[in-house]
Amino acid sequence: MVTIAFHDLAETNAASRGVPDLRICYTPHPVWGKTPEEMYAYLEGDDPVTHKPLMPEVISALTKPLTEDEKKTGSVTPPVGPPTYAGSPDELQKYYMDNGMTDFMPIVVPTEEKVAAMLKGTSHSPDEHVGDLTPARGAFPPWSFNVHQVAVNAVMSGATPDYFPTILALAASGQSALFSSTNSLVYAAVINGPIRNKLNMNFGIGTMGPFSQPNATIGRAWGLLSKNLCNGGLPGQTYEGSQGNVINYSNLIIPENEEASPWDPLHVEKGFKKEDNVVSLFFGFGIQQAQGGWGLGIKPVPHYQEAMVCNCVPFATIFGAFIVADPLVANGLVELGFKKKSDLAAWLQKNATDTVGHLKSCLFSRPPMGPAAAGLTDDSVVPKWYRPDAFNFVVAGGETNPYHQIANMSYRMSVSIDKWA
Amino acid sequence: MKRRSMLSLLGAAPALLAGSKLEAAEKKHSHARHSSMGASDKIVGLNPRGTPPAIQLIPMAPRLTTLDGKTVYLISDGFPGADVFLNEMKIWFAKNMPSVKTIYRLKAGGFAADDPKLNAEVKANGNAVIMAIGH
Repeated sequence: MVTIAFHDLAETNAASRGVPDLRICYTPHPVWGKTPEEMYAYLEGDDPVTHKPLMPEVISALTKPLTEDEKKTGSVTPPVGPPTYAGSPDELQKYYMDNGMTDFMPIVVPTEEKVAAMLKGTSHSPDEHVGDLTPARGAFPPWSFNVHQVAVNAVMSGATPDYFPTILALAASGQSALFSSTNSLVYAAVINGPIRNKLNMNFGIGTMGPFSQPNATIGRAWGLLSKNLCNGGLPGQTYEGSQGNVINYSNLIIPENEEASPWDPLHVEKGFKKEDNVVSLFFGFGIQQAQGGWGLGIKPVPHYQEAMVCNCVPFATIFGAFIVADPLVANGLVELGFKKKSDLAAWLQKNATDTVGHLKSCLFSRPPMGPAAAGLTDDSVVPKWYRPDAFNFVVAGGETNPYHQIANMSYRMSVSIDKWA
Repeated sequence: MKRRSMLSLLGAAPALLAGSKLEAAEKKHSHARHSSMGASDKIVGLNPRGTPPAIQLIPMAPRLTTLDGKTVYLISDGFPGADVFLNEMKIWFAKNMPSVKTIYRLKAGGFAADDPKLNAEVKANGNAVIMAIGH
């Protein structure tokens, strides 16, 4: 039984798992939040798809004899369309868009010549398996893809061949930029290493805006491959984000301003060497401006770390806090005594607090459990996050103002870009 | 087979299979090469899609001739409100089909995770399952 809001998802999932005729009955939406009386009324009412009485339909689903289709066995390989499409440039733009293969902005049509040029950006052979991708692990069977298939998507995004190893690293991460959740969850990708300068990535003024070809197209490529390599991004079927997320237009590519940062770069913290080229992924609800009323360098001292505590108040602890600080903020924090990122993480973990009662009332947060909860009451004030590693920091920006942005996102993994060179 | 299910089984967006003049032209020109870049010239673009896994069709379990006297498991995948909803269903059966024995269970693990222990219990003790699926 499923609510009507998930009709397409239920049917798609049943089919892709081998039971295309699964007997599914539907209720009105939502169930969550309804009273028992309202839920009973659903049972006494009609299935909103068939418009027939619901419970007799449920009983029929369990007792009506199977059809021949419902008894079928065997294997079906889903077709994905022809290997090529021919037409005028305008016809092809429309065709790719109308058939769900774009982000609804014009693409670079992936001709054989352009894909061949893209493939020169890596030493890996075109038919080498790169990885598997799914809009949501466990919910949809993963699709596999090779270097050539990634190259087609990279061309479409407007990327150049020297961006290709970074795009391959993102694809190889196995993380879809178009994660399927009603919560409109998104990824951010931090780029570290000399490749930032080699590709002329923007980690100065406007770093998270549309001011750099590599920043824009690497992120765009990730979105396109997340759609095309695993049948992702189909609203109602493989994408359920209720409002969507503007980040998905370019998927928040953040090259770290290692040169202006007083701290170790992110990838060094995660165990890589400074000269390694690495992309690190963060996942969660998204990012926001964080200055607010506590913002800039308020005399006599800047309140950067206190502003960050305030920023965390509405955050769910199912994800961590990921802070993107302009170099002015990072250097200001060092002057305040936070010589390392871990010093700031420890301070924030201790000072970002909430009451046990409030944490209990939040859907995506959790109060202390087990022995840690001994002696606590609903009025007890506790740290929101149990460990300092819930906090991560990256320095990026052009030092025109001491700003930071903060994301309710968790560190997920780091992937070598050098591997795909 | 329902059309939507068929299209989903085929692993492609429905629009892709709706057909178009371009697709018909593609069969004729799939090996075409463009000779110049004039607006009306044909060019050939590659398919950007990945490779879906083969789908093993799973035949559905035989149906019961009647629910009277049978044991029906009411299983929640853990989404908020499912326990309350299935309790109302339990009440409905008690009121309308009192010979049906209903047993409520919460599936272990995440929404999409299998629960082999529960599956074994249902197989041993139950005749049918109604599963409330949400998130």
